[in-house]
Amino acid sequence: MRKGDSLVAHMDWPLFVSYIVMLIIGMATVYSVAYNEEHPNIYEYSEKYGKQLVWLGISLFLGLIVFLIDSDIYRKFSVPIYVFTLFLLVIVLFTPKINGARAWLGIGTMGVQPAEFAKIGTALLLARFISTVNVKQQNIQTVLIANAIILMPMVLILLQPDAGTFVVFTSFLFVMYREGITYDPLILKLINRIPGIRFKETWVGGHFIPILFVVIILSVITLLMSNEVLEFGFLPNVKVPGFYSVVATLFLISLIFLIFLRVVSARRDRGRATLVVILGFSMAAGLSSVVNYGFQGLRAHQKDRIELFLGMKEDPNGKDYNRNRAMAAVGSGGFLGKGYREASVSSVRSNHVPESETDFIFCPFAEEWGFAGTFILVALYMFMLVRIIIIAERQRAVFNRVYAYTVAMILFYHFAINIGMNIGFAPVIGIPLPFFSYGGSSMMSFSVMMFILLKLDSQRRDVLQ
Amino acid sequence: MNLDARRYVILAFILMVGIIYTSRLFYMQVVDDQWVLRAQEIAEKRWEISPPRGVLFDRTGKKIVSNRTYYNLMMVEADIVDLDTAKFAKLIGWTREEVRNRFKEIVRGEGTYYNKNTHKRTPNYQKIRAYPFMKELTLEEVARIAPHLDNFKGFHEEITSMRSYPYANGANIVGYLSEVSQEEIDEDRFYKPGNNIGKAGLERFYEKELRGRKGIRYIVTSAMNNAIESYADGKYDTSALQGPPLKLGVDILLQAYGEKLLKGKRGCIVAIEPLTGEILALVSSPSYDPNLMIGKRNISMYYPKLLMDPSTPLLPRPLASEYPPGSTFKLLNSLIALQEGVITPEFGAPCNKSVVGCHNHASAGNLADAIKHSCNPYYYAVMRRIVQQNRKKSVFADAEVGLNRWVDYMKSFGLGRKLETDITGLRPGLIPDVAFYDKWYGHHRWAFSTIRSISIGQGEVMITPLQMANIAAIIANKGWYYTPHFVKSIGSKGPLPEYLKKHYAKIDTKHYDVIIEGMRRVVYEPGGTGRRALLKDIVICGKTGTVQNPHGEDHSTFLAFAPMDKPKIAIAVFIENAKGGGGLWAAPTASLMIEKYLQRKITEKEREKTIIDAVFSYMR
Repeated sequence: MRKGDSLVAHMDWPLFVSYIVMLIIGMATVYSVAYNEEHPNIYEYSEKYGKQLVWLGISLFLGLIVFLIDSDIYRKFSVPIYVFTLFLLVIVLFTPKINGARAWLGIGTMGVQPAEFAKIGTALLLARFISTVNVKQQNIQTVLIANAIILMPMVLILLQPDAGTFVVFTSFLFVMYREGITYDPLILKLINRIPGIRFKETWVGGHFIPILFVVIILSVITLLMSNEVLEFGFLPNVKVPGFYSVVATLFLISLIFLIFLRVVSARRDRGRATLVVILGFSMAAGLSSVVNYGFQGLRAHQKDRIELFLGMKEDPNGKDYNRNRAMAAVGSGGFLGKGYREASVSSVRSNHVPESETDFIFCPFAEEWGFAGTFILVALYMFMLVRIIIIAERQRAVFNRVYAYTVAMILFYHFAINIGMNIGFAPVIGIPLPFFSYGGSSMMSFSVMMFILLKLDSQRRDVLQ
Repeated sequence: MNLDARRYVILAFILMVGIIYTSRLFYMQVVDDQWVLRAQEIAEKRWEISPPRGVLFDRTGKKIVSNRTYYNLMMVEADIVDLDTAKFAKLIGWTREEVRNRFKEIVRGEGTYYNKNTHKRTPNYQKIRAYPFMKELTLEEVARIAPHLDNFKGFHEEITSMRSYPYANGANIVGYLSEVSQEEIDEDRFYKPGNNIGKAGLERFYEKELRGRKGIRYIVTSAMNNAIESYADGKYDTSALQGPPLKLGVDILLQAYGEKLLKGKRGCIVAIEPLTGEILALVSSPSYDPNLMIGKRNISMYYPKLLMDPSTPLLPRPLASEYPPGSTFKLLNSLIALQEGVITPEFGAPCNKSVVGCHNHASAGNLADAIKHSCNPYYYAVMRRIVQQNRKKSVFADAEVGLNRWVDYMKSFGLGRKLETDITGLRPGLIPDVAFYDKWYGHHRWAFSTIRSISIGQGEVMITPLQMANIAAIIANKGWYYTPHFVKSIGSKGPLPEYLKKHYAKIDTKHYDVIIEGMRRVVYEPGGTGRRALLKDIVICGKTGTVQNPHGEDHSTFLAFAPMDKPKIAIAVFIENAKGGGGLWAAPTASLMIEKYLQRKITEKEREKTIIDAVFSYMR
C-alpha cells in the first residue's frame, strides 16, 4: 500500500457495487421467503432473516479485516491456510451426522461448513503453486501436484459426503486450463510411446477440460430437452421438438460469437475465428444429435434409468419431487412475477419447495419477480463474472490472476448448477446460490473470497512482476 | 501455445451458459403455460363449502324440516400410532374384522390414479389426509366415543349437517335426501361424490332452491395440505349461501291429524285452500317416519324394508294412485249438462233400476235432490243427454261429438292430465276420449250405451285424490282454481309464477249454485248420503262416492268444502276397500279434518274415536 492512499483506493468499484447489490437482493429474498407475520421485524433474531442479517454483518466485518491486512500475506500464508482448512475437513469427519452428512462444525447454535472455506484455502494454494512454476515447460510433476492440491480436499469432502461442493471443486480445472496446466503431458506420454509418433503438444490434450465440460453440459441439456415439445402461445399450432430448439440455440450462440469474435479479434485472426466457430457449431450440433438419436434408440429400461437419474420423470412424490416443484415455482412467475412476498409455491410456509430459503432460493425470487427479475439476476451474475475475469487479466502477478480466476469459476459453478437445477438443466445437487442462499458459511466464504480478490486487485500495482 | 486466448474460451463458456439460461427462463416464465397450471395444481386449492340446506316451514311458521348437526369420525392414517384394534372396535361397537375392512374400504373407495408417463397406477389415497371413518354419528353417539379418542391418535370428530323432521309427518310431501348417483354427478357439476340430493317429494322438486349456493375459497396450501392463506387475499372467493327457506301452505298439525285418522287404513286425504290453491294437507296412508330416511346408515337399513312393505308406504297415494272417482263424478256431469243446456236444475228422472242399479230412495224431482240421493239412473239419463245430443244422424257419430265436448269440459277441470303441482310422482289419471274408445271398440263401434258407466264415475275414468280435491276447490270457487301447490313462498319471493295464474273450468258461474245446494243437502237433509259429515257450527257441502273396484270392498270417498258461504277448505278423502259406502268412512273423516282446520277442536269425539280406532282387515 502506498503512503497516503485511503483504504479503498484503487478498489474496483463496479465489482464491489455489484457484490453489494447482490447482498441486498439476496437479503430481501430471504426476508420474503421466510417472512413470519408474528415477527415481521427484519432484525428479529429468532427468524431466518434476523440470523441472515447477522451473518451479513459478520461477513462485511470479515471483509473489513481482509482489507486491513496487506495482500501479500495471502500468498505468503497460503500453505498454512490450506493445511488449516484440510485440518478442519478432517475434524469435521468426526462430528455427528446432520441431515446425513458430517459437514458442520458447530459452535453453539452457530455452525460453519469447513468445505466452504476449503475453497478459499485451495484457491490460494493453487494460485501460489502455479505462480511458482514455469508453465511453458510444464511436465507431469506439475500436473500431478496441481491435481493433488485439488484432490485432497475433494476426497475429504466426498467422505462427508457433500456431492455439491465436490463438484464445485472441479472448477479449479478450468483455472488450470487457463494457466496452461492441462493433461497434455499425460496424454503425450501415452501417445508418444507409439513408435513413430513424436508430438510436442496435442490440441485435445490442451483443451481437454473445456471440451469435456461442453460435452457433458450439452449432453445433459439435449437429454433433458429430448422429451420436451416447445409450444408458443403467440404462435398457435407451432410445436418445436426439444432437440431442434437445442440446435437452434446452438446456432444462435454461434452466430453471436461469430459476430463478437470478428469485432474483437485482429484482422489476420478473423478467418481462423470464423473457422473455429463453424467447426465448434458443427461438432456441438453433431454431438447433440448423436446424444438425441442415440437416446431415442435406447431400450425402454435404459431410457428409464437415464430419465430417472436426470429427474425427467413425472414422479411427484419421488426423486423428481424437488425439481418439479421448483420448476413450477419458477415457471409460474410469468413476466413480471407474482409480486414481492406473494410467492405461493415456494414460500417457506407452504413448504412445497423444500429448502426454498437455501438451495432453492432462486425459486421464490423467480416466482416473485418473474422473467424481469431473473433476467436482471442472470445479467448481474454475468456482469460480475466478466468483471472478475477482466480484473484477473489485468493483474501483473500470476498469483493474483490465478486467484481471481478461481473466484470467477467457483462463482460460475454455483450460479450454473444452482439455477440449472431450478430450471431443469442440472440434476439436484445441493449447493447454495452465492450471496442469496440463507446460511452463514457460504455467505462468509463468498464474501471473504470476494474481499481478498478486491484487496489483491487494489494492490496490484505494488507487485513487481 | 497462446494461453492468453484461453480467456475467451472461458468467457465464451460463461456467456453461453448465461444465454442458454436466459432463453430457458424466458421460455419457462413467459412462453410456456404449463408451469402456471402445475403451480396451481400444487399450491392453490379450491375448497367448496356446502351451505346448510334451506329449511321448510308450515303455514303457521312451524319448522317442519330443519338441519341438525351430526358428526363424522375422521381418520388420518399418518397420525395413527399403535392402534389397538380390539379396544377401538369395542369403543365404536364394531368387530375387529369390521374395523379392518373399513380401512381397506376407505383406500379402495378413493380409487387409483393412472400416470400416463410411467404407465403405473397409484392409489389416490393419501396417508396424510383425513377420511371419514364413521359417518353421520348423532350427538349421543359421538359423546360416547369422543372422550376416549385421546387414546386413539389419528382419529377426530368433525361436524356435518343433515336433515331433521321435528314432526315426523308428511314424509310423502317432503321426501328425503340421499347420496348422489354417478349419473346425477355427470349431469350437474354442482355435485361431488358424497353430496346429498333430494330424491323424492319437495326435497327433489325444489332441489335447486334448497341446496343453496356453494361457497368457493381459493387457498394456498402447504405440502401437508394445510391451508396457509387465502389466494389473492380472497379476491376470487365466493361465500356459501344457504338455500332460501320454503314456506309451505301445509298445516302440519292438520297433516298430523289426518295421518292419525287414517291409521290402520289405506287411503288419502287432500285438503286445499280454494282461494289460493295451497295444499293444506296431503295425507297418504300408510306412510313412514321421515326420520328413518336420514343419512346413509339409516337409508341403507330402512329403505329396503320400506320398499318391500306390501302396504307401499313409499307410494305418495294422493298423487300417484289413480282411482275411479265414483259418485263424486256426478257433480261434474251435472255441471256439464247444465252448461250444455241439456238439462235444467228442475230436470227430474225416475229412479229406474232397470238400466243401472241404485239404492232405495225416492225419485229425484230436481238436480239438487239427485245429488243428495246420488241417484244412478238419474245420471244415466243426464249423461245420455250430454253424449247423444242428436247433432248427427248416426248414433255413433253423434256419440263421438258428444263425448268430445264432454272431454273438453273434463280437461278444463284439470283431469286426464298431470296437474302442475310442485312435487314429483304425479299421475295424470284418465278421461277416456274418442281416440281411447276407438282403440278399444273400433271407430264408430261405440255409443252412449257402451260407455255409460262413466256417467257415475266408474268404468274407464281414473282420477287422483289430488285432482279430486281440486274439483272440490273449483266448485267452492264457482268455476276457477289455482293449480294446487305446496310452497306458498320461496324465501320472500312468493310462489313459483305458475301458481299465480288462475285457471277456469269451462262452466259458467251461475250453474254452480244448484250443485252447491245439492251438496249441502247431501249432508244436511234427510235422505242425504253424507249425513255423517254433519257439523253443527260449520256448513259442509259434500258428495259421497262408493267406488266399486276389482280389489275387494268398495272404496269410500268423499269430496267436500266448507264453510258453504265463504269456503276455506276443500277436501277429498279416499279410503280404500272400506266396508260401507262413502258416507260411512270418508264423509266423517272429511268432517273431522274440516272441523280440525276451521275450529282447531273436535266436538264429535265419538265420530273421531270410531275413525281412529278402525283398523281394516288388510292392515292387520
